[in-house]
This record gives sequence, structure tokens and C-alpha cells, in this order.
Amino acid sequence: MSMQARERSMPNGIILELTGDLTYANREQFKTAVESVRQRGFRHLVLDMSNVRFIDSSGLGLLALVAQQFKLTQGRLSLLKPQAYVREIMALANIPSLIPMYENEQDAVTSSAKAA
Amino acid sequence: MKPSCPQADVIDRSGTVEAMAAKEPPTVLIVDDDPVARLAMAGRIKKLGYRVREAGDGLSGLALLRRERPELTILDWMMPDLDGPSFCEEVRKDSSIGSSQILMMTSNDHPEHIAEGLARGADDFLSKAASRQEIIARVQAGIRTAKLIRQLEQVTEELRNKQALLDRELQAAARYVESLLPVPGMILPGVDLDHLYRPSLALGGDLYNVVRCGDDSVGLYLLDASGHGVSSALRSAALATFLREDSLLRYVGSRDPGAIVTEANRLFPLTERGDYFTILVARLDLRDERLLYATAGHSGACIHRRSGAVEWFTPPSLPLGFDPSHRYRTVEMPFRPGDRLYVLSDGLYEVPNSRGELWGKERLALALQGTAGRPLKEVLSVAVEEAARWSGQDCFPDDVAVMGIELKE
Repeated sequence: MSMQARERSMPNGIILELTGDLTYANREQFKTAVESVRQRGFRHLVLDMSNVRFIDSSGLGLLALVAQQFKLTQGRLSLLKPQAYVREIMALANIPSLIPMYENEQDAVTSSAKAA
Repeated sequence: MKPSCPQADVIDRSGTVEAMAAKEPPTVLIVDDDPVARLAMAGRIKKLGYRVREAGDGLSGLALLRRERPELTILDWMMPDLDGPSFCEEVRKDSSIGSSQILMMTSNDHPEHIAEGLARGADDFLSKAASRQEIIARVQAGIRTAKLIRQLEQVTEELRNKQALLDRELQAAARYVESLLPVPGMILPGVDLDHLYRPSLALGGDLYNVVRCGDDSVGLYLLDASGHGVSSALRSAALATFLREDSLLRYVGSRDPGAIVTEANRLFPLTERGDYFTILVARLDLRDERLLYATAGHSGACIHRRSGAVEWFTPPSLPLGFDPSHRYRTVEMPFRPGDRLYVLSDGLYEVPNSRGELWGKERLALALQGTAGRPLKEVLSVAVEEAARWSGQDCFPDDVAVMGIELKE
């Protein structure tokens, strides 16, 4: 399955709504969408994962890569509402210790605002 | 590494073929038992600038076609011994000449007759009463088709050669990777090793090794590069080089698994494509009967106790490169005579069945428990067979590597 990324604005940043699978096959779409946010100088990115059904090992690597890129420029990456299976896979790779995860959008947005 | 570029060789050859084709005019073979008709046709074709070969019967025509590989064959239907349609059938049966273009001549242009000729292998028809213009047009159309088919055959041949070359290179690389794997058998008195390796492609991204460190200690690792194929295998080989005994002493200065993984984390950051490794590094200390390990995102390891219990190593931990400043810690477990250690790639237990359900660690543990008392080699085969049965396929979607170490009683 392919992946779509749709942007919504929030105070001080962007929410990227991902739909589909975050996998090796879709890495270019994901990187392009994230790069476009970074290029425009946004410091806070919230990835809305509620419509992501599946993530593979390449997808985990991409999340870690984006987290590092944002950290390098004093930015911040957050994850919003991952589905149970995706959450389980991310927990196995200890992603929650690297990227904060939120259950509702308000928390994700305010945490970002605080970080700013 | 070969000194010359193998691809250049293929390009050179194809260039030569094209150059030769450009110099020589196309060849037309005329097969007709009537010498007058044959001569008349030969005259017309020669006027078009083509090279002409002639045969007075089907059998010698077939021999000429095999020898000369003409672009087009103009064939009479009615001939003694081998008639036109039978000639066509012979040609189509033979894969080396099967794509030859055949223009069949007949005085009977009844639709059923023409259909039979096409069905038996002719490409086009020419009535014996056809005008000069029609003959010229059909011959040129046949030559045009023949050229396209030849180009297609040539490109296919080049692709096949390049693919064969790539396959050979991959196989050579796979043999190298396999040469890095440990030799099964006794590592130290009382310590036995066996392992099983099934890459999903010719070249896998999983690597593991076991080395003896002195008289009372064994070091081992299993690493898994994200992604598949050549780039994964190359990165794995680089990490395996870092994990060699001499390199560890130089760069880490310690045999502590946590220190080794922490240094590997520093030296192998995420690639720009987000590729990384998961790894497990362990040391078996025979004197104190304990196992020390550190893992970076790799949770596929367990101890099958002499008592029958299966204990998994504790996840989770970050894969290599996810956090450059992360310090990996060493975990200690008792490891006593009669215990068996299994270290395996996730490809073995994260294998889905037809409904998408994963085999999982619990089923793997049950499979291991069912093998109590059997030799290591058999246990590894059983685990892989059960996983394969679950998936319903012979070929695993991911690399599968499993290694077993037994401390004899």
C-alpha cells in the first residue's frame, strides 16, 4: 500500500497526517513530505500516525532519522495516536525513549509550544 | 576485483553487431521448385538492393535458412517432399530460427487456405498474381518486421548476459559472506556450536560469529542490517570487520558487550536513507558460568534451560545509530551446564502465515521445548522447518539466521 501525507498547520509548526504504510517502499514520499516542512523552517513537526496501518524496520529508521534532523536544528518531532500494532513495533525498537508520543492532538501541540 | 569493466565488453559487442548489420544488405531466401518463377522473383528482389539466396526444394531451403539466417524467406506453398506449410512448421519448432520471417506464395487465395498457412507458421501471404508494387511492399514490410525482431533478440540477449554477470557477482559476494560465518563444532572443550543460515536473496544482511577468547570465554554476535541485498550486505561486512577481536581490542579496549555496542553505536550512525543495524553482542564466561550481553534493538535471543524453561533476553533497546549518545549496558544471566543459548534473526519468528499472523516467540519457544534432548543441529532444523510450515512457503520473506550454543554437562 502507498502512503499519503497531508499537512495541517498548528501554532509554531505543522501536523503531518500520514495515511497508509510507513515502509521501505514509501520512504521517498515520507522523506519528501518531511523535507518540505523542514525547508520552510518549521521547528515542530507532529506526525499524526492514526491512519498508519503498518511500519517496517525501514520506517523505524526513517523516524529516528527525522528525529535526529530536527534535534540538530533545535527542532522537535512528536508522534500522535499510533495504532496498536504500530505502537507495538515502535516499542520493540524503543522509539518512545527517542520520540515523545501523544494520545491527543492538544497535548502534542502544547508540548511543542512549550518546547519552543 | 577485475581490472576491466565487464559492462563495457557487452556494449562493445553490441556495437560491432550493429555496425556489421549496417554494412551488409538484408538477405532474402527464395524457396521455389519452379526455376522460372524463382529466377523472376530473384531478379525483382535483387533490384531492391537485397542479397538473394535460392533453393529449389524445401529441405535444401531449410538448410540454407539455418546457415544464412536470412531476414526474409519467400516460400512457395506447393513443393515436393517438404511443402511450404510443413517448412514453416519445421522453422517454428526450432528455437534458433523460430523467429524467421516467412512470406508464403500461393496461387490459391481462398480465405480458408490462407488461414491454414498462417496457422501453420507463415507470417504473410503473397498471391502469385500480385502486382510488382504489392510484392515490393510486402517484401519491405517483412524486412522491417525482421529488423525489429532482431533488435529485440539482441537487446534480450544483452540483458540476459548482464543479468548472468550480476548473478555471478552476487553469488561470489554470497560465498564471501558465508566464509565469514563460524565453523560448527566444538569451540572450547564442553562448548558446542551449530548454526543455520538462509538469506532471503542471494546475498543477506544478517551476519553472526562466535570466537574463542582464551581458555574460558567465548565471544559472539549476531547483527542484522535493515533493508536487503547488496548495500545491506556491504554494511554488514563493515560492521563484522569492526567486531573482529583485534579491532575490538584497538577501538574498544575491552570485551565488555555494553562497551562494544556503545562504540559500534558511535561508529555506525544512521545512513542518509535511514538504514541501521540491530545487534546482539554476548560473552560466555565459563569460569563463572554466566552470560554477559548487550543488545541494540535485537531481541531474538533466549536460553533454553536444562530445566526446560525458555528465558528471552530483555528488550527493548535502541537499534544502532538511533541515538548517538546512548550508552548500552551489559546484562548478566547465569549460564550453566545443560543450558543452551539460541541467538536468532527476527526473520525466523516474525514470519507471517497466510492470514498475516506472525509465528512469534511463544510458538518458537514451544518448538524449542519440544526438542529437549535432541542434538543442536536437529533443533535448529526443526525450528526453521516449523517456521517454514507456518509461513506455508519454502522461501522466507526475510533473512533467517539462527545459532545455538550448548554448554555440555
